[in-house]
Amino acid sequence: MLQRFLDPATLASISGLDLVAKTVVDGFIAGLHRSPDYGFSQEFAEYRAYTPGDDLRHVDWNVFARSERVYLKKYRGETNTQLLILLDTSASMGFGSQPVNKLDYARFLAASLCYLAHAQRDAAGLIVFDENVLNYVAPSARQGQLFRLLHAIEKAEPGTRTDFAKPFVHVLDFTRRRGIVVVISDYYERPELIVKTVEPLRFRGNEVILFHVLDPQEIAPKFSEPVLLTDMETSGTLEVSPEYARGEYRHKIDAHIQGLRDQAKGAGLDYFLMDTGRPLDEGLREYLSVRQGRM
Amino acid sequence: MGFLAPWALAGLAAVGLPVWLHLLKKHKTTPVPFASLMFFERRTQSSIKHRRLQYLLLLALRTAVVALLALAFARPVLQSHLAALAGGPRLNVLAIDQSFSMRDGDRLARAKREAAQVASRLRGEDKLQVLAFGSQVRVMGDSPAAIAAIEPTDTRSSYAELSRAVRSIAQSARMPVELHLFSDMQKSSLPANFADLRLGADVQLVAHPAADRRAPNFAVESVNAPRRVYGSGKARVQATIAGYGTEQAKRRVSLVLNGREIDSKTVDVPASGRATAEFASVDLPFGLTRGDVRIDSADNLPDDDHFNFSVERAEARRILFVHEGRNQRDALYFRTALEAAAQSAFELDAVPVEQSANLSPQKYAFVVLSDVSSLPPTFESVLRGYVRSGGSLLVALGRESVLGGRVPVFDEAVVEMRYFGRDGDRFQSAAWLDAGHPSIHDAQHWDDVKFYQAVRVNPGTARVAARLGDETPLLLEKQLGEGRVLVFTSTFDNISNDFPLHASFVPFVEHTANYLARQEEGPANYLVGSYLELRQAKEQGAAVEVLDPKGGRALTLEEATRAQNMPLTMAGFYDVKRPSGRHELIAVNVDRHESDLDPMSSDTLALWQNTAQGPRNATSGGEVEAPKPLEFWWYLLIAVLALAIAESLLGNRHLTVDKEANVT
Repeated sequence: MLQRFLDPATLASISGLDLVAKTVVDGFIAGLHRSPDYGFSQEFAEYRAYTPGDDLRHVDWNVFARSERVYLKKYRGETNTQLLILLDTSASMGFGSQPVNKLDYARFLAASLCYLAHAQRDAAGLIVFDENVLNYVAPSARQGQLFRLLHAIEKAEPGTRTDFAKPFVHVLDFTRRRGIVVVISDYYERPELIVKTVEPLRFRGNEVILFHVLDPQEIAPKFSEPVLLTDMETSGTLEVSPEYARGEYRHKIDAHIQGLRDQAKGAGLDYFLMDTGRPLDEGLREYLSVRQGRM
Repeated sequence: MGFLAPWALAGLAAVGLPVWLHLLKKHKTTPVPFASLMFFERRTQSSIKHRRLQYLLLLALRTAVVALLALAFARPVLQSHLAALAGGPRLNVLAIDQSFSMRDGDRLARAKREAAQVASRLRGEDKLQVLAFGSQVRVMGDSPAAIAAIEPTDTRSSYAELSRAVRSIAQSARMPVELHLFSDMQKSSLPANFADLRLGADVQLVAHPAADRRAPNFAVESVNAPRRVYGSGKARVQATIAGYGTEQAKRRVSLVLNGREIDSKTVDVPASGRATAEFASVDLPFGLTRGDVRIDSADNLPDDDHFNFSVERAEARRILFVHEGRNQRDALYFRTALEAAAQSAFELDAVPVEQSANLSPQKYAFVVLSDVSSLPPTFESVLRGYVRSGGSLLVALGRESVLGGRVPVFDEAVVEMRYFGRDGDRFQSAAWLDAGHPSIHDAQHWDDVKFYQAVRVNPGTARVAARLGDETPLLLEKQLGEGRVLVFTSTFDNISNDFPLHASFVPFVEHTANYLARQEEGPANYLVGSYLELRQAKEQGAAVEVLDPKGGRALTLEEATRAQNMPLTMAGFYDVKRPSGRHELIAVNVDRHESDLDPMSSDTLALWQNTAQGPRNATSGGEVEAPKPLEFWWYLLIAVLALAIAESLLGNRHLTVDKEANVT
């Protein structure tokens, strides 16, 4: 029943992005109760004797006060990772035939991932880019990081043209620690170039997840009559017949998706197509699946 | 093209509706933003253009439907000559000139050759009609083989007759007619009234001239010779030689009688002019003579270089003059008048009525009953039979005639004897004369003749040729059987009138004698195409035997006993044997209009061709029924139906909503 809270149309009616993220993640988590493999807790695991070099922040000072012995308190699942979200805000991301456009959907997804990471005490960071890197929130697990992230996501607006390769030169500079890199984009570029651009992230030991956000109208456009389409990035116009949209375009977009999926798989990248008409939980499930694989 | 309901054309304004729907209310293409056009291609515009083309096609269909519907309600009609232009079967009439002039060179062969070529080019759906025309039009058949059967004739060509026949064909054919005229296009064959050439509106004239230029031609134009010569008289023959388009030349003219050249002369014929050759004092044998005047000319038309004529040399014919024994004056005046005539062709046998009982009138040219009171019954009966078999009778009425109460043989009652004395008019004059009657047609000075007495006769069915001032018939004629009876209601004795003392008496007697003796019947020479009168009575009579110039019988047995006349179709001599036993030789010549080979001008030909497209009643015609205009509104309705179906199919393709396509 809680699935309905993951529906994009429902989420669109929620004003605050933090509340959206919380709704998504809580609903999502609640649906995982049968799965012991997933989840996190602050459940006590064991005490371990302090050895030089351990982080003093993990010392259980209450035990030390009572017994003057230094023990480290270990919790299950406390192993953390770093999540870096690369959010594409190019102009094409502003397209949407649904109640939420692609950028909104991408923001919901990014916010939910940040919220989920924050709940698991993972360090989370954000890079907002279009043709350039527009905003950067360095990964961190500190208090207040979630709000910085949500604020940055909130401010993300459709920008200009996407030169997919250009911002990634800088992105590589921001990823000094291994972790999970999530790239949320509509990937209007040749699959070879996309993979070639993203692939260096993988070389640094990162797990890279490509979330391909597409509107249903982009996947299967349906026109009842010839329309004059305007490219949201280039402002170029083109008259398109319904026959072409139904036939040749679908073949091309399907070939593009499949090509990107194959190329990503070949490069060891995880690829996931996010239809803005579908719930967000599939994206979150993908993230957790990857994260689980890292532990 | 016209309209029977032109007000319905106002419906054409409705054409604006589809135009408004398509053009003024044209859908505006609002640009729709799309994420990326990466997977769209420029060539997809052709699809849009194709779609726009379909829209234009739809517009055209809808406009055509509205326009054709308005036109259909306006009930358009098409004149049939315009309808002909739309194609369809047509009747090709091949008219080949077979007149005498086509004998010149190879004109007829060339015409037949070209006609065969035209016939071979006809379309399968076309019909063919082959005509041969001269003075008359003959239908030869509807197959190309009929062309070969056309032979030259001696007739004169008549384009008016051809036009009349083609008009008749066009009216009955009910399809466009294309008239192919194969002729030498003689100007002389044109009618006097150009309107007679008028063709029907459905007829298209295509001329195929059989002659390239005007050919010079000499001909014997006419021969003037007496038809009969009596006694020892000699004949005088005058011939006119004509040159048509010729240079000045000398020509030798020969007179041939019964195949033997009698005399010859040389004449100087001026350029395109005429010359006369005269043969005076020609001795003729007794009986019928075949005469021929010939010239030596080396042109391509030798058949008109001679002219036929016939002359009959005979003894003077006798007239039976029956009179009262005590009255000798009338015979005296009548005989004197006959002898005073230019040719004394008659001798008078005056016989008192008392001696007439046993007379046979058969050997006389005609019989005169001059103021006789009564005839012996046997003689009257014989006389009646004589008249019915072709004889003639002249009856003069006077005081004695009144006693009988009726006119013998004439069988009409005598009403009264009119005296013009001192108590009234002293005399009467001939107040009305029928100039068309042979007895008086050139009579002059009749006004001075004083008639003191006249017998009023009930005219009955007789023709009145002259009347006195008080309406008393003076000269009456009645046809009895093959013969004729002429009644003069006064006398020839210079008592009842002073007619014998006037100059007009001699020509009256001469013309009357010639008329009654049938001396002047028919022209001296006949033209090919004219008709020879065989008999006057309509009832069946004795057979007339006619041999044509080739020696064959010109009449069937039935025609020989019934026909009143016969056409003379070839040049030469016709041998005619009348029921009375009289033998005649009829000389027939080709109409010399055929000798003038000057073709008509191209302007004239163009005018003739234009008569097919000209105003229908521009000339004095109007008797030609205007062809019924062709209504084709229902064709338009069929077209509207077809277009409506096409519009529905095409419109459905545009209006069908794609079930998947809910987003635009």
